[in-house]
Amino acid sequence: MLDIKNIYKNFDGLQVLKGVSTHVEKGEVVVIIGVSGSGKSTLLRCMNLLEEPTFGEVWMEGRLMTPPDPYLHRDVIRASNTYKKLLSEGLDDEAAIRKIKDEDLLKEKHPKAEGAEYASLLKKISEENGIDINLGRQKMGMVFQNFNLFNNKTVLENITLAPIKIGKQRLRDAKKRGENTEKTNDDVIRAANEKAMKLLERIGLQDKAGVYPSTLSGGQRQRVAIIRALAMEPDVMLFDEPTSALDPEMVGEVLDLIRDLVRDGMTSVIVTHEMGFAREVADRVIFMHDGVIAEEGTPEEVFSHPKNPRCRDFLSKVLY
Amino acid sequence: MVFLTNVANIMAKYWQVFLLQGIGYTLLLSVIAVAGGAFFGSLLALAKRSGLKVLKAAVAVFVEVIRGTPVLLQLYIGVFVFPMIIPKLSSLPYIYSVSIVLILNSSAYVSEIIRSGIEAVDPGQMEAARSLGLTQHTAMLSIVLPQAIKNILPALGNEFITVVKETSLASTFFVGELMTAYLKVKGNTYLTMECLAIVGVLYFALTFILSKLLKSMERRMKARA
Repeated sequence: MLDIKNIYKNFDGLQVLKGVSTHVEKGEVVVIIGVSGSGKSTLLRCMNLLEEPTFGEVWMEGRLMTPPDPYLHRDVIRASNTYKKLLSEGLDDEAAIRKIKDEDLLKEKHPKAEGAEYASLLKKISEENGIDINLGRQKMGMVFQNFNLFNNKTVLENITLAPIKIGKQRLRDAKKRGENTEKTNDDVIRAANEKAMKLLERIGLQDKAGVYPSTLSGGQRQRVAIIRALAMEPDVMLFDEPTSALDPEMVGEVLDLIRDLVRDGMTSVIVTHEMGFAREVADRVIFMHDGVIAEEGTPEEVFSHPKNPRCRDFLSKVLY
Repeated sequence: MVFLTNVANIMAKYWQVFLLQGIGYTLLLSVIAVAGGAFFGSLLALAKRSGLKVLKAAVAVFVEVIRGTPVLLQLYIGVFVFPMIIPKLSSLPYIYSVSIVLILNSSAYVSEIIRSGIEAVDPGQMEAARSLGLTQHTAMLSIVLPQAIKNILPALGNEFITVVKETSLASTFFVGELMTAYLKVKGNTYLTMECLAIVGVLYFALTFILSKLLKSMERRMKARA
């Protein structure tokens, strides 16, 4: 469902991600653990392109969300002038491609310098597979450490804002395409409000629909943030340390809600420091260290029999 | 005692010059400057946030030059230069050129107010909106700007109060605002201290009332949020 291919992320010369690839299956729950600064939050934020990867590709349900990365396509490399030059210098195909990849030789910032064939291949890939970044994000719900509820909107408006704006947009587009639909903007608004109230009932906060987020407790805010993401009916949920900013007594209610979602089969990627929770809900655990996946496996494998010494060291510090 | 009697006599005779003409022109110039400044300042702030490097650099230079030179100097230059660019201005009173200078001056300050007001909104708000699949445009209009306005309005009010005081420099060109009223009445009566006292009290009353109004506005805005 979600495919991460060889992601690199640099921040002003600092390499935070150094080639991360992983695949999230439908219905799978992936938990990412690791020390602060290991790149786990950055990886999560690269998945919905809140951070743009420096290299690499993100595929959501078979559609490419990033610009195509020439290094990931052999036919593109073979079309480049650099490759042709290396061949003429006597290297064979395999060696030329390896040299280009290892030494980062493609002038990917200046596609014209690599020839018309190279540029047109890249363009073809993005035309055939590319998806508008906003459409991709609509399929991915994101929950932040600091909740990020909209301060200028009531709880209900927080939940309905995106469904209404995007629902209206879809309706406009459908009408522009000449589709015959009886639906009106009012229907979109009514549906969004009903849905939001149902979600609020689910978390027992229906009586808070009209208040502003500043009057809610941390736990309530995070639960509203979660259902705000759910209101867009995402195919995958990304949780970025959802309980790290909470007072201890509020962690439970948020974890309970996430546990509920996961049991209902919601595909999720969770960055967390709650090791007990990770072990309980994860189908697969990823241990990040220094910008790469240092260990990966079932909770049993990673927590009980870690092979990587860094992972063992980390676990010995957090599991006591 | 003589001082107060003089003040009373001056006010009895010249109250129109001070209260109607003086305060009238001072407020008029301030409103023109800040309203125009808000309009052009918004455009400057937009330009500064755009991706066009040339535009950004041009705005940065303009803002720095305006903020780094005295208003009086800008007024002198404006009054001489603008009529050369727009010939129609040379047959009109100075107040037109003065207004243009004040608008330009204020737009530089207001653009900074707007920029910092937008930047003061937690970036997480924009991120949350984008993560739901809203476009940059929609996120800006429905989430960031409404919150930025809460930062911008009080600062804009302070800018207005500053401009009220700065308009006194326009008296160099005798445009009729409060300080010009002082010059006129002093010229007729030769009572310098009395006239200064009257104008001083009027300026103070003006800015004091304005800042009180602003405070209560801020309180109401806070209460709503």
